[in-house]
Amino acid sequence: MRAMGGPSSDVLALLEATFDAAVIMDDRGRITAFNRSAEEMFGYRAADALGRNVSMLMTSADRASHDDHVRRYLAGGEARILGKGRDVRVRHRDGSEFSVFLSVGRIPNTEPPRFVGYLHDTSLRRKALATLEHERQLNRLYLDLAQVMLVATNRAGLVQLVNQRALRVLMVDDAHIMNCNWVESCVAPDDRAVARNAFRALLMSGGDEPQSCEYHVRSSDGEDRFITWRGVALRDANNVATGVMLSGEDITDQRRAENEAHRALERMNNVSRLATMGEMAAGISHELNQPLAAIANYAQACARLLRLPAPDMPEISGALEQISGQALRAGEIIRRIRSLVRNEDVRRELQDINELIREVHTLLASDARVHDGKLELDLSPSLPRVTVDGVQIQQVLMNLVHNAFEAQSTDKVSYRGSGAAYGNGELDEPGRAAGNGATFEVRIATRPTEAGDIEVSVSDLGPGLVGEVEQRIFEPFFTTKPTGTGLGLAISRSIIKAHDARLGYRANEPRGACFFFVLPAQMETPR
Amino acid sequence: MKDLPQTVFVVDDDDAVRDSLRLLLKSAGLSCESYASAPEFLAGYDPSQPGCLVLDVRMPGMSGLDMQQELTLRGATIPVIFITGHGDIPMAVEAMQHGAFDFLQKPFRDQELLDRVQRALARDTEYRARLRHTDRIRERLATLSPREREVLDLVTQGKANKMVAGDLGVSQRTVEIHRAHVMQKMEAGSLAELVRMMMAVAPRT
Repeated sequence: MRAMGGPSSDVLALLEATFDAAVIMDDRGRITAFNRSAEEMFGYRAADALGRNVSMLMTSADRASHDDHVRRYLAGGEARILGKGRDVRVRHRDGSEFSVFLSVGRIPNTEPPRFVGYLHDTSLRRKALATLEHERQLNRLYLDLAQVMLVATNRAGLVQLVNQRALRVLMVDDAHIMNCNWVESCVAPDDRAVARNAFRALLMSGGDEPQSCEYHVRSSDGEDRFITWRGVALRDANNVATGVMLSGEDITDQRRAENEAHRALERMNNVSRLATMGEMAAGISHELNQPLAAIANYAQACARLLRLPAPDMPEISGALEQISGQALRAGEIIRRIRSLVRNEDVRRELQDINELIREVHTLLASDARVHDGKLELDLSPSLPRVTVDGVQIQQVLMNLVHNAFEAQSTDKVSYRGSGAAYGNGELDEPGRAAGNGATFEVRIATRPTEAGDIEVSVSDLGPGLVGEVEQRIFEPFFTTKPTGTGLGLAISRSIIKAHDARLGYRANEPRGACFFFVLPAQMETPR
Repeated sequence: MKDLPQTVFVVDDDDAVRDSLRLLLKSAGLSCESYASAPEFLAGYDPSQPGCLVLDVRMPGMSGLDMQQELTLRGATIPVIFITGHGDIPMAVEAMQHGAFDFLQKPFRDQELLDRVQRALARDTEYRARLRHTDRIRERLATLSPREREVLDLVTQGKANKMVAGDLGVSQRTVEIHRAHVMQKMEAGSLAELVRMMMAVAPRT
């Protein structure tokens, strides 16, 4: 320690012993003492510093005000720094600036007064603080870069942190939301109960597992956005929940797209149904024209025949029968079409398929008697239940069973004279007529498939389907029956299709036809 | 030559329509045969049998249009009246373009059908008569000697006997004899009639 003009050796020893830089100056700011730590801190040797003004140690910003402070103090004014200390920036000999904590005291019994300044290098502390600030900014950046909304609240539900994404969704700035109640000020009114419950559940949750929930937030312009949230409880060192942290994803647009896609699909289904109906309309008009044309022809022929001197009465009477038959045929076509249209209104319930079959058994058995045949049930016990419109499934079964009996009977009443309801005339085998002892058998069977679903089949021992017939059997208006509308199987197929299943055909073993459909088994929770 | 009786052939897969057509035609005193499919009809069809065809456009398997084409391939000339449902008008138009005689939309008035059937039968009669006429002319032409044929070709071109004699390098008298044979063999009463006969059998250009 070198000193100019007077500090006692005690004082000098004291100054020399501190780690801090110590500088003594006189009333005019001239350095009168400069300890070793000061030499190290500022890069000046004491010999060079002594006698010079302390302003050389200051940054240009502090120089001017320093002299003012000293003057004001000397003039009997306030002592801004004495005994208090403050952070100041100082200047190294090499020009670099750094921060120190400066405390200044007046040396007692000096007149004019002398002052001692202690300078504590705070740049390490500053560095730590800067690192902390940097990390804080980085964290902020992380938060704001996140594509999800991030919101933290305290135990009371007041917002403590909110990222840019969240602010954008809510269309507010953070001044308007910090310390506001999250649920009451940001959640859409209808969803507040949900949000409150989720908040409570989070606070009470024991673990660190994130919890999920979904609710709408309302932006400042009144628009609701649908958000899917994951939240965790924030805990203090004692594991007490101090608040919650929520991360939310705005799925409004995604939901909208999904809904739009769903609606588009529905529209497409409608269009395709309309197209089908349009296709059908052409077919329908053609099909209705057939009986109408026949009726017109028969009636006109009758009128002509009756004008003849000797009318052919059996011919006329036959024609009149045909007229009523054809009118009924037209009516049947219309009835079938109406039932086809009614398909849209499906009422599905969990049903036992075997029970459904047993319910129609009586009705079907009478059909069997009419055809002098036998209806057998081969129902697999304890099948899982199915979700179906029972009445529709029964309609399909009745249709299939009726077809099966017709396929086997050789009903010569038909004017086509063919017995094979599926096949064409060549398939007709005279030997299988009902009258000569053959019995017709139709079998309804249910069985579980390997996938655990349920197959329902109706098989007969008739001629089966051959060639073109097999290809076209499901076409609307395709029929091999003399009085058929060609709609029975088409309608049955559309009913089964509406149940997400497919009505299929396979050859029956050892002979005949087998129509089948597979209904998805319903996953049941035990009751 | 006496005409065979005319038959209205009905081909329609719909039993009721087919049977009612049969009865309607019968009530109008027409002879009718009906078939449930095109192959069934084609199997038994003899093109020399006069009549007309009432044909449904839309039939499973071989359609009415297919059958019309098959008949054309076989050189059959029978007039075809198509009957169609509402949806089949484009098909009916196509059928007309392929030479169908007429078409009718179901259902129809009996008189509409019967008028068309009558016209078609008249057309068939007329066509067959014309066919027979030209057949006869061709038969007579075949009896001419080469020299007689030469004389016939030249006189029907309007050449006088003298010019024909010059062209063929024979005497005018010889030409007169050949010409008399030609008129006799062709059963022609005049030169004008002979010219008409030749026009009837001339290949159309």
